[in-house]
Amino acid sequence: MDLSLNVNGRPEQFSAPPNELLVERLRDGLGLTGTKVGCDTGQCGTCVVRLDGRSVKSCLVLTAAAAGARVTTIEGVTTRGGELTGLQEALREEHGTQCGFCTPGMVMALGELVDNTADREAPTEPEIREWLTGNLCRCTGYHSVVRGVQRACSAARAGEPAAEAAAAPGQEV
Amino acid sequence: MTAVTGESALQGNGVLGQPLDIREDPQLLRGEATYVADIDLPDTAHMAILGSPVAHARIVSIETKAAQELPGVLKVATAADFTDVMPLPCIWIPGGVESHFPPHPYGLPGARPVLTGDRVRHVGDPIAVVVAETPRQAAAALAAIAVEYEPLPVVTRADEALAEGAPQLHEAVPGNLNAYWTCGDKDRTDAAIAEAEVTVELDLVNQRTINSPIEPRGAVGDFDATTGEYTLYASTQGPHNHRFLLAALVLGIPFNKLRVIAPTVGGSFGTKGYLYPDMALVLLLSKALGRPVKWVDTRTGLMNSTVQGRDHRQHVTLAGTRDGRITAVRATSHANLGAYPSTIGPGVATALMGRSISGMYDIDAAFCEVYAAFTNTVPLGAQRGSGRAEAAFLMERLVDRYAFEIGMDPAAVRRKNLVPKEKFPYDNGLGWTYDSGDYQLNFDKAIELSGYADMPARKAQARARGKRLGVGIASYVAICGVGPSTRMSKEGMLGGTWESANIRVHPTGEVTVTVGSASTGQSHATVFAQVAADELGIDPAQVQVLEGDTQKAPYGQGTYGSRSYSMAAPAVALTARKLKAKLVKAGAVFLGVPEDKVVYAGGGVHEEGNEENAKTFAELAMAMWYGWGLPPEIEPALDETTHFDPPDFNYPFGTHVAVVEIDELTGETEVVAYTAVDDAGNIGNPKIVHGQIEGSIVHGLGQALMEAAEYDEDGLLISSDLSHYALPRAADVPFFALDKTTTPSPHNPLGAKGAGEIATVPPAAAVVNAVVDALSDLGVRHIDMPLTPEKVWRRLRGEAQ
Repeated sequence: MDLSLNVNGRPEQFSAPPNELLVERLRDGLGLTGTKVGCDTGQCGTCVVRLDGRSVKSCLVLTAAAAGARVTTIEGVTTRGGELTGLQEALREEHGTQCGFCTPGMVMALGELVDNTADREAPTEPEIREWLTGNLCRCTGYHSVVRGVQRACSAARAGEPAAEAAAAPGQEV
Repeated sequence: MTAVTGESALQGNGVLGQPLDIREDPQLLRGEATYVADIDLPDTAHMAILGSPVAHARIVSIETKAAQELPGVLKVATAADFTDVMPLPCIWIPGGVESHFPPHPYGLPGARPVLTGDRVRHVGDPIAVVVAETPRQAAAALAAIAVEYEPLPVVTRADEALAEGAPQLHEAVPGNLNAYWTCGDKDRTDAAIAEAEVTVELDLVNQRTINSPIEPRGAVGDFDATTGEYTLYASTQGPHNHRFLLAALVLGIPFNKLRVIAPTVGGSFGTKGYLYPDMALVLLLSKALGRPVKWVDTRTGLMNSTVQGRDHRQHVTLAGTRDGRITAVRATSHANLGAYPSTIGPGVATALMGRSISGMYDIDAAFCEVYAAFTNTVPLGAQRGSGRAEAAFLMERLVDRYAFEIGMDPAAVRRKNLVPKEKFPYDNGLGWTYDSGDYQLNFDKAIELSGYADMPARKAQARARGKRLGVGIASYVAICGVGPSTRMSKEGMLGGTWESANIRVHPTGEVTVTVGSASTGQSHATVFAQVAADELGIDPAQVQVLEGDTQKAPYGQGTYGSRSYSMAAPAVALTARKLKAKLVKAGAVFLGVPEDKVVYAGGGVHEEGNEENAKTFAELAMAMWYGWGLPPEIEPALDETTHFDPPDFNYPFGTHVAVVEIDELTGETEVVAYTAVDDAGNIGNPKIVHGQIEGSIVHGLGQALMEAAEYDEDGLLISSDLSHYALPRAADVPFFALDKTTTPSPHNPLGAKGAGEIATVPPAAAVVNAVVDALSDLGVRHIDMPLTPEKVWRRLRGEAQ
């Protein structure tokens, strides 16, 4: 079936089988390999992308069901080799990554939480941990990630650049 | 062997030991790192593997014709296509290296073939492969392969596999017994137990767990018909070791015709050091098809094929005096090796476990025996803290049981028995000689930091809230720095276990460090640059670190057993020292002064007492590259290599304290506080180690609370995906209180000890001790892991184990 998506600010048109998963389209069809596949059951969160701003597991979404939507992947968060967003910088400062395989999915999922912090109370530690339950990490034990999010949320409250800020040209955020 | 001075490296420019930002992080945070699944060579074909759906059966027939005719299918292959390929070898056989010779895998009892043709022995045992144009086509074609099975009886427990009349897995291994292995002094231990004032015994199950790196394994094979060279891209923690195993022992191709590349690897925790059928298959099929062949595992595939961990059933005994002095410990363990001996699984189940059982304690008599058996389960391998965690669990459970029996505080019993500082190096009587330590200092720090003295009051407060609070202590010693090659040969390890490093100084003054080790998330590029920069007195930003490609890097075994910083980093430091020595010699020529008047400082040289007469590092680099005016005894250029084989292992240690609260109504166990004080000797980058300690503790808590590989009576792995195998999530853990002590190891020039996985060793014991403490007034003396709410709830209601 013929479908279209807006991916990282770029319109994409293609033909896809009806049972194709969004993660397959992104990785195999569009070559956006920053989005990872870590399990078969929607448990691990390595494939999280933003779909119209909301973080979703792209292995649980059919490409067809996302038709017409605005998709942001990790490649749409920063330019290649470019400056890190506030969230990424905070995670770097806290070393919230080790092997890095879960990291893009975490950045995408946590980006939504940090984005929503600017105009409300910063999330508590239990709230951050709850938000993170959809993303598995086997290296860090999550502590450095939680500290990174705390750091990013306080920066976001202070009006510093938010997580999805450095989007590709032409993209609405 | 390289001489070791024991001199600390912490005398360079001060960048070593600093929590520098991790240079790998930005790339990972931007999703730009390339993992195996991201490799896309032109014209790649895709492989899928048909694993057995049954645990034990004779294969009557395999029909592949229908699969071969499906769209996109390029090849379907079975065991019949690989009759000239040797089985995958096991290179750690308990009993010593003599059992390896001749070092050839043919005839090795139980060695696994790349595909099984006549009989399957575990669910997931590979039977056939399909290569197709797309991954979907390959996967779809698996369903069209018809295999007829004649079921055989199944056994999944080691103790049952050794019983009379048990199903037999390998004709060459009567009674399923791979190894009976012992360490320590049996007679002395038996006598001490017979004469003891007090003895306590426990039957323990150290359940099988699945390591679950978040990246499943993958492999890409690329054969070049013009040069006859093979390239393997694989999620491996030891590219050189995989090259050795594949080229020399499996494929029988010239060593220099195989290149192994580890791209970014998404975690391993032990599992990705093993040799798997897929690694050989992608190479063989690439040659057969004349195209690159790629295979990426699924999570369910990983759980049914990647080595699993732990899995001991043990009867353990501790003897002591009424006033708390431990006099003997004895363990009998049935270890489940699974269906085939994995690359080093038998060594993990025996030496790594058995020689560690006495932990931090000064015990007069100790003995351990292990019956390592084959069963119809996935092969056993390493898992973060492998062997050491199983040992700490049994000892630390015993100490608590003993303390309860004699009515003494568990902390007081431990303190009374710690190996005293003046006894190092300490021979533990089981085969290890601990290098250095101040166990009292470490222990006291942990007890103090945990607020142990306040626990009675906290218990009372918790009871008022309907919660039972328990506190558990666990101490440990972990053997790391594998290893001294000769010593490892006596353990039965085939292969040198040294590490090497090369440093090349470029004419413009930049430096490239290459090491044989390969990171699976341990930030090697950051910390090895710190080591080189510190020794050379230069800016770490000038130093590039390369690894993970056998064509570029010097030999090394790779990353396992927390060895990179105490094996590869010393090789870097010693290489830098060679460069410095050469620069001092050359400096004498360039400065026109005698060698003993040359001072090396800040990356350059100057004349003693005359800082005007000097050459900077960049000037030296260029001058050495030109090589003009050098006397014949000084070769031009700055390019040195060191092979580091330490005189002995190193032994990090520590003490952890867990505080749990159990909900009286639901049986749920919550870890409410966790304190860890670990000693990994001198640390290269505290930021890296801090992260590894935190992650390791969560891994250990996972085993205590929720993780279990569950096989049913037919040998089906029930917990074969992440919906059925629980991993700790962010909300399952609190922040931890961490601290350290620092006892440098005398066995390497950095004073380093292993760090990466050591904090996985004690948490399971600490948490189970805490839960038993919380339930002890109900008569509970032990409870098997994982401590699921249902299990605890039943014990709260007085039900038996």
